[in-house]
Amino acid sequence: MTNLAKAIAGAFLALFALSWLLPFWSVITTALKDEIEVRTTVPIVPPSNPTFVPFVKAFDSLKTGLANSLTFTLLATIFSTLIGSVNGYVLSRVKFKHSDVIFLMLSFGIFIPYHAVAIPLIMVTSRLGLFNSILGMALVHSIYGIPICTLFFRSYLDELPSSILDAARVDGADDLTIYARVVLPLSWPAFIVTAVFQFTSIWNDFLFGVILTKGENQPASVVLANLLGTTSAEWNVQMAGTFLYALPVIAFYLLLSKYLIRGYLAGAVRG
Amino acid sequence: MIISYEFAGLQQYEKAVKDPVFYVALRNNMLLISLFIPGSICLGLVIAMLLDIVGGKVESALRALFLLPFSLSFVVTAAMWAWMYNYTFGVANTLLSLLFRGLRVNWLGDPNIAILSIILALVWQFSGYTALLFSAGIKSIPAEQLEAAKVDGASTLQVYLHVIVPQLKPWVLSAFVVLMVFALKAFDFIYVLTNGGPGVSTYVLALLMYRRAFFETDFPYGAALATILLSVVVAVVVPYLVSSVRRR
Repeated sequence: MTNLAKAIAGAFLALFALSWLLPFWSVITTALKDEIEVRTTVPIVPPSNPTFVPFVKAFDSLKTGLANSLTFTLLATIFSTLIGSVNGYVLSRVKFKHSDVIFLMLSFGIFIPYHAVAIPLIMVTSRLGLFNSILGMALVHSIYGIPICTLFFRSYLDELPSSILDAARVDGADDLTIYARVVLPLSWPAFIVTAVFQFTSIWNDFLFGVILTKGENQPASVVLANLLGTTSAEWNVQMAGTFLYALPVIAFYLLLSKYLIRGYLAGAVRG
Repeated sequence: MIISYEFAGLQQYEKAVKDPVFYVALRNNMLLISLFIPGSICLGLVIAMLLDIVGGKVESALRALFLLPFSLSFVVTAAMWAWMYNYTFGVANTLLSLLFRGLRVNWLGDPNIAILSIILALVWQFSGYTALLFSAGIKSIPAEQLEAAKVDGASTLQVYLHVIVPQLKPWVLSAFVVLMVFALKAFDFIYVLTNGGPGVSTYVLALLMYRRAFFETDFPYGAALATILLSVVVAVVVPYLVSSVRRR
């Protein structure tokens, strides 16, 4: 590659990088300003006298929502990942009549628009007594996470050399033993990819929260959306709230971006 | 929730035909399809190529930066863009008025512009993702091919346009399907950023379904709209899934 091409590409990328950073920059500067400074300076300008008061206020409104989100996100991440692991093993290695058709139907679940299931979901969770509850949110997210988790584990196990499993089979181990003794210990990378992907997408979800919960049981996404809608003047508190709600995902992203990227790629190519 | 389960034929679908907002929503979904999808694919291609040219540590650091918005909740990105697009304080107007002598755009307040502002912000959120897919595609092309083209005297630009881009076809297809499904079911981002406004100018099918079903508690009509949405998604996704299973 010529140096000229590199220089031109670098200049364009710097411009793009700037426009990618500006929205983040304006959230952080605004969240650190007091009410007067928010109304007298533009967000590009950093705060002259940084204050954490907006963060304290935002945390106060968001704390119940954050606790709710954390609870059902953890529960649903664990359940959907475990079920996905078993499903992936069966659909990749056990194979049975029409297993491809079942996989195809399951894959459609990845793309299903949640609006299409919203009304029946309210009816079913109401009948089960799980409407407007954290447990209900955990259940719904577990179920709707199964397709993508299955896909991740199936893709991962498809690439495992079959000699490993064949050796166990020759030794007389049944499917369940092979799963527990051989597949499970070997799948830890798939567990990380799936768990990181599930945690971020369940944490980020808005629609299930807005249709299935009310008041005290609302997840952080819905509480934040309400905060943005009602107190239209207090931009510093809104931006501090936005930052607080995004923080776990940003932390995950900084620490485990390698695994998250693997998840994004696996989810798209095999679709 | 009290619902009559008596068969009503196509009564609920007739409501859609008579609902003026339904056509606004359809138009906006079509705008998303015709502007947001090509926008995200083209910008993603450009970014992936630029990253590939630069290479090294800068490439992976910037790829992570461009992908960051995609990993965030739509509630977060909508909050960011509500502030970016703020008429008086927003970064967009601050920069515009600096560059073009006080020019200010009413990004979210003008019914003709609001949907375009939404599309621009969504392209920002999704281009890092399409760039990631295309980068993976570029990396999978054997280096000898690129060397051979260069030996034949092709310039950098020619190598990209004539050797690399044609081989990214399967990646463009899977990006297209993901973006298409999103363009059809877009909801959270618009709900938080404009809630369909000003007026009804930024309604999309999913938002209309939500408002009719859960605000006006017209569940039958909401269900009909949800069915329309589902049918379109099925028409896009099922052929893609079947063909990708056959290829295995």
